[in-house]
Amino acid sequence: MLAHAGTYRTENRVSFWRTFWSNAVIAPRTTLGFMRIDFVLGTIFIIPLMQMVFFVFVVQVSGGGPSEIAFTALGNAVSTVTYSSIFSVCQTTDSEKQQGTMEHLLVSPANRLALYFGRGLLPILISLATVSVGIAYATFLFGVAIPLSAVPTLAVSVVLTAFAMVGFGLLLGGVALYLRTSIILGNIFLFIGLLLSGVNFPTSQLPPVVAWIGYGFPLTWGLAAIRASVAGDPWGTIGLLWGLVVASAIASFGCAIGLWEYFERRALATGSIAKF
Amino acid sequence: MATADVPHVSRVRATEASLRLAFQMFVADPQWLIPSMIAPVVFGLVAFELFQGAGPDFLTYAILGAGMMSMWGQTLYGSGWAIGQDREFGTLEPTVQSPTPYVYVVLGRVLWNVVSGLAGGGIVYLVVLAVAGAPPALPDPLGFVALFLFVMLTLAAVGILFSAAWVYTRYSGFIQNVGEFAFYVGTGCMFPVVILPFWTNPIALVFPPTWALDALRYLAIPGYVGFAWGFWPDLLGAVATTVVYVAVAGAIFRRVELHVLAKGNLSDY
Repeated sequence: MLAHAGTYRTENRVSFWRTFWSNAVIAPRTTLGFMRIDFVLGTIFIIPLMQMVFFVFVVQVSGGGPSEIAFTALGNAVSTVTYSSIFSVCQTTDSEKQQGTMEHLLVSPANRLALYFGRGLLPILISLATVSVGIAYATFLFGVAIPLSAVPTLAVSVVLTAFAMVGFGLLLGGVALYLRTSIILGNIFLFIGLLLSGVNFPTSQLPPVVAWIGYGFPLTWGLAAIRASVAGDPWGTIGLLWGLVVASAIASFGCAIGLWEYFERRALATGSIAKF
Repeated sequence: MATADVPHVSRVRATEASLRLAFQMFVADPQWLIPSMIAPVVFGLVAFELFQGAGPDFLTYAILGAGMMSMWGQTLYGSGWAIGQDREFGTLEPTVQSPTPYVYVVLGRVLWNVVSGLAGGGIVYLVVLAVAGAPPALPDPLGFVALFLFVMLTLAAVGILFSAAWVYTRYSGFIQNVGEFAFYVGTGCMFPVVILPFWTNPIALVFPPTWALDALRYLAIPGYVGFAWGFWPDLLGAVATTVVYVAVAGAIFRRVELHVLAKGNLSDY
């Protein structure tokens, strides 16, 4: 009997990578199914442009010069990462509940880490594309000067930011597991970065308490790393900021896993979490 | 033959009933105010921070712009959902089959969206006011309120047209989500449309709120430089485009009703 149970467990154990890839491939058709190709292309090419145009004109009307415009353009180029990394990832929890697959997911033996990372793969790729296109807009349309020598560090900063932001999205998705819907949470964190993360003006202009809240968001550190890369700051400064981005990413992914485990236990105990 | 036997249905009563139902549904699930409000509050605060030191009238800019964005958000998402909800709930055909013209049912929902958008705008106003510490100076407060209500009407006209047009497209979600900022930019929510490239101006003028908002700024901000033709032509343009929107929406609704009765397939989602 024991031997049989052991065999059973071994036969049904799915490898980490298989779970990872199957989720990465299937999620765009299921929980991320709302992200059709037109929506993805709009997120990559239209939203960054429109958001940048909006805030650049606000700066222009308020009497800002080229340096303020460049600051705002770059900030908004990077902040558009939140659409794919936070809103869409956060929304996957709602999708699971709405499609009635949450119960099955909660009782499946799949490795949770592989499952969440797999689901995050597409948003990470879209986030990278969104920020890259946004930075291209900032360079060619709004006069943000990026020296060629800054491109390698900039690329690393963008990749780290995308990872960290998707981790933050998964964290919010974990919180959304307990909520009736994630739309409120998603909206709050979709836009709050514009105010607290130094997107449109330096965080030093904020009241200290509010600025400290901003330091809790990966976007703040990711944006700081990107700005430092573009400005050609010393390696020490950029390295420190990369460290903070990585730390915020690890904290986000860790908290996300922790939250999902906690709410999973509650779901199995009460059977009420998956209700929509 | 049967139409003579159909009891008279008051359009006003139908609109009131639809408005009341929309309100009750909102009370049952009030979360929809939050998405349309969070972004404008944040944008209002960001604009306030950016506008600081740029003169006293820029507080009016920030509040007006953010309030406008709140109402736009509600129009774009809420009114866009006015017919979509019938399709998803499976109530489109029964509602269209009822003796009440469908447009008055949708009108009630759109009116509620305008009211809730106004509530969102009010909250934006209070938040920015709390941060600014003092209300903006308005030369003509009564005129401002009257014109602000008119801006709401222009948005309602846009809402009715959108709700009708969304029936014929599967891209309403795309237009709502991806086009949100484009509407804010194009209608000059936070800045005058005239500072945009000239080729964009004719597109912006297709939307009634562009005209109405420009007129409102002429009234509220001394020395405002908007469209060269000034306040009264702005107002005239707003009225004219609003009438056109309502007429076009009415025509689309008639087509939708005929289509539903003939094909019975519009609730396919």
